[in-house]
Amino acid sequence: MTDSGMQLAAVGFGTDVWWLILLKAVLIFAFCVVMTLFAIWWERKVVAWMQMRIGPKYTGPQGLLQSLADGVKLALKEDITVKGADKAVYIIAPIVAMVPAFMAFAVIPFGPEVSIFGHRTHLQLTDLPVAVLYILAVASVGIYGIVLAGWSSGSTYPLLGGLRSSAQMISYEIAMGLSFAAVFLYSGSMSTSEIVAAQQDTWYAVLLPVSFIIYVVAMIGETNRAPFDLPEAEGELVGGFHTEYSSLKFALFFLAEYVNMVVVSSLATTLFLGGYLAPWPITAVWEGANSGWWPFLWYFLKVQAFIFVFIWLRGTLPRFRYDQFMKIGWKVLIPLSLVWLMLVATVRALKNEGYEQSRIVLWVAGGVVALLLLSILWDAVTPNRDEEADAKAAGPEPFDPMAGGFPVPPMPGQQLPPVPRRNVRKPEPVGAPAAAELPADRTEGEA
Amino acid sequence: MNLYAPILVLGGIALAFGVVSLVMGALTGPKRYNRAKLEAYECGIEPTPQPIGGGRFPVKYYLTAMLFIVFDIEIVFLYPWAVYFDSLGMFGLVEMAMFVAAVFVAYAYLWRRGGLEWD
Amino acid sequence: MSMSTAATATLAVTKVDAPTIEYGKLSPILIIAGVAVVGVLIEAFLPRPARYRAQLTVALVGMIAAFGAVVWLARDLPDDHRGSVTAMGAVAVDGPSLFLQGTLLLIGIASVLLIGERRLEPAGGDAFAPQAAAAPGSQQEKDAAAAGWTQTEVYPLTMFSLVGMLLFPAANDLLMMFVALEILSLPLYLLCGLARRHRLLSQEAALKYFLLGAFSSAFFLFGVAMLYGYSGSVSLDKIGVASAGAMDNDALLLIGLAMVAVGLLFKVGAVPFHSWTPDVYQGAPTPITGFMAAATKVAAFGAMMRFFYVALPGMRWDWRPVMIGVAIVTMVAGAIIAITQTDVKRLLAYSSIAHAGFILTGMIAMSDAGVSSTMFYLVAYGFVTLGAFAVVTLVRDARGEATHLSHWAGLGRRSPLVAGVFALFLLAFAGIPLTSGFSGKFAVFQAAARGGAGSLVVVGVLCSAVAAFFYVRVIVLMFFSEPKVDGPTVVVPSVMTTAAIALGVAVTVVLGILPQPVLDLADKAALFVH
Repeated sequence: MTDSGMQLAAVGFGTDVWWLILLKAVLIFAFCVVMTLFAIWWERKVVAWMQMRIGPKYTGPQGLLQSLADGVKLALKEDITVKGADKAVYIIAPIVAMVPAFMAFAVIPFGPEVSIFGHRTHLQLTDLPVAVLYILAVASVGIYGIVLAGWSSGSTYPLLGGLRSSAQMISYEIAMGLSFAAVFLYSGSMSTSEIVAAQQDTWYAVLLPVSFIIYVVAMIGETNRAPFDLPEAEGELVGGFHTEYSSLKFALFFLAEYVNMVVVSSLATTLFLGGYLAPWPITAVWEGANSGWWPFLWYFLKVQAFIFVFIWLRGTLPRFRYDQFMKIGWKVLIPLSLVWLMLVATVRALKNEGYEQSRIVLWVAGGVVALLLLSILWDAVTPNRDEEADAKAAGPEPFDPMAGGFPVPPMPGQQLPPVPRRNVRKPEPVGAPAAAELPADRTEGEA
Repeated sequence: MNLYAPILVLGGIALAFGVVSLVMGALTGPKRYNRAKLEAYECGIEPTPQPIGGGRFPVKYYLTAMLFIVFDIEIVFLYPWAVYFDSLGMFGLVEMAMFVAAVFVAYAYLWRRGGLEWD
Repeated sequence: MSMSTAATATLAVTKVDAPTIEYGKLSPILIIAGVAVVGVLIEAFLPRPARYRAQLTVALVGMIAAFGAVVWLARDLPDDHRGSVTAMGAVAVDGPSLFLQGTLLLIGIASVLLIGERRLEPAGGDAFAPQAAAAPGSQQEKDAAAAGWTQTEVYPLTMFSLVGMLLFPAANDLLMMFVALEILSLPLYLLCGLARRHRLLSQEAALKYFLLGAFSSAFFLFGVAMLYGYSGSVSLDKIGVASAGAMDNDALLLIGLAMVAVGLLFKVGAVPFHSWTPDVYQGAPTPITGFMAAATKVAAFGAMMRFFYVALPGMRWDWRPVMIGVAIVTMVAGAIIAITQTDVKRLLAYSSIAHAGFILTGMIAMSDAGVSSTMFYLVAYGFVTLGAFAVVTLVRDARGEATHLSHWAGLGRRSPLVAGVFALFLLAFAGIPLTSGFSGKFAVFQAAARGGAGSLVVVGVLCSAVAAFFYVRVIVLMFFSEPKVDGPTVVVPSVMTTAAIALGVAVTVVLGILPQPVLDLADKAALFVH
């Protein structure tokens, strides 16, 4: 059983000649780098359009060479190693962050078997029986790069940024990992090429919509992109873990981030959107859509669509607060994906046992509705203890907007005291707050 | 060729690229010594002195890391189960349901005890 | 792509033979595990004031139910008293495991009664820190104490530990044994650090216990790996078959044997793996010390017997001399170092080391009589220890328990009852006739002598004499010296501690005067399933 599974995943892989492997590896590397350059340009363009600007325009046609120019500029900048840095780790960290991002691409299927110089080979560097697990593993190694960068800089902001970033990435990795389990349940394999092949009839995004949504949210959290780009929150942490990096070291982090974006998009495509398989209306009208080199086009378009979503989100959404962000990850995504996984497993097990599908769906749906009703009832009956506690905590202690001599914003549950104004046009209601009694012009006079 | 060898080839190319970039960055960039430039950046104010070895992290991050390990191990159990789900039949479902329920109990405890509060 | 679709098709067809698990046969373990999980849920969802009562009820009812399950399973054993294995051969349900599980559950009930005691602290609360996560002496801790907080997590932790203990002597393969070892140890490490008084000492105890325990677990695991390398299996039966014909000195087998033995000897606190015992016994909250001293020994000796009797009977000529040496050193060191102790809890700790040596004597006999006498000794010793530590919780002064021996001077004049009970337990430790200690020692020495370990018996008797000296010294101190003016007082406990002590006294006296029924029961239960 296990042996046969292992062998099946390996069929057609591991047989390439050495120059073909080298060629494919170089091509994949080049693809990643070009995608990065392209994605940066595209991001700037799209965000510019969303903000009614033009974006990069002068370097190359439509500014296409802008990111290349930026790269050259970075190479010509001074390479600073900060005084407080832990030198060895500081230098290695960008490489640790970048290399795994590329390595994850080894198992991404770009297309089916094609012919290169007379050799039949898969448009995929290699495939493993545990390919998706491998991607998760190398992605985790990438986190080390970020933590080490933050830690070794010997500076406060990078340290905090690195810690935040790692906390964030590992939090969302759980939701991400859980969302994969449902896919494996359906495909019966962790090998990427088999998962794609198993989606010939229906994409898993259709069969497992909840998993898909969870994955999309988690992948944005995982790549530290807006609206989850807290580690780089300029407002509070300057630049996060790469504050102290400059020149090409900084460029490597930048490269890693964009390659990671492409990786997670490719993974989403592979696991949920049928990978390199042509989308449905095209296959209906065109037989040959899934043969030859065409599948690479479908793959490319799907990945681009995901990258567009990344950019779109960045152009649209404001940044989350750290506690809100962690709350979504731990209190929403994880229980949701666990419950969803068990639901999927139950339905599938019952189906395997020979129960009628419509019946199962009916029962499961009934159960879910009953649970929801119960939880609503529960919410209605029991008073919210957290809120009570908050109210109690906030109650006796009035909010002081000038705590310690600096203006501070109110915490949740606290109320700003009414602002004293000079010209009160409306008559004050009877029993108005004490603010009305404040000498209104005193603040004015001091200001 | 081995299934894993191509991964090493790709990793090697990426590594070579990284090393070349680092060396190139050191060679092509200008070198103008300036004491202030080598200080840690803290928006222009005098940088906070850093304890040797990066100092101590807030314990909250360790908590996050430990929770991560708990759930990550759960995921590691879930994957092989999911791959061979069809051949395990109802037995697999029942056993995994028990396991997930057990983890959920711990999760509920953690939640109620404020282990998932961040600020 | 076509091959891949074919692959998925073949995957879907093949069915794995689902293992059968007889839940009924595992019911004692499963009930306690369920109780522990319910305990966690109580912690999560019940309001603070309601938790104590709920936890106590659930734990006690669960343990009584589990004891009922053990009795039911024991009655179901076939007439030749051979048991069976369940859960794919990973768990044995046979005489020794059921006997020891029953013992563990009774000890567990008494321990939970001790843990639940809330009348001893003058400010209210139990023996556990109001907020264990707060740094000792910090404002946070003072606030928590002032608010009258109590931790009820102790109960689920104890129950989890008990799950591991129930599984440990029943584990019929080394992996299951390791899992059980960890389940029983991890909660104990935590429990050790929860004392309300002497917080730093308690935390030190927890850390020491954790570090050394983790170290010994690693030994155990390496040993398991070696034995697997030797026999190709982690199942005790298969290792037994493979090692039966071992003629030459196979390094893998010998190293594996030694390393697993180290892990097990650490848990029972045998010399030279005993160094944690005094510090941990002293630092841990006293009810936990009692639980740990009694129950861990029962569980660990059960596992050790199963390991040596089932997996390595063919190797007896290799391991017996070493174990005889360990037993002798343990008895001698425990008895002699105990003489110099000035702290009651440390004294009891060294006494427990000496007793580990006595119990090893029975185990080394390598016969059914050895098994039954060891099990009998474990019952006798478990309740005596628990009772002794329960008495320690009662003798208090302003700084908590007064454990220094000098404080105990003249206790017999102030409160003859408590001192009398403690004297009874000490006499039982010493092995004076008409106490359970005598019956137990007699049984193990007899078995050892028949098993051809006469030298061991001689040393054992001598050590008993030495040990008797320091037990009697404490008795003399309590009854024949003047009480100090500012000496400790004996606090009147609630019915729970009283019940636990009464149980200890009852077992001590009954097993001393009428040991035969329990000896018969142990005899019947002495067969390991192969």
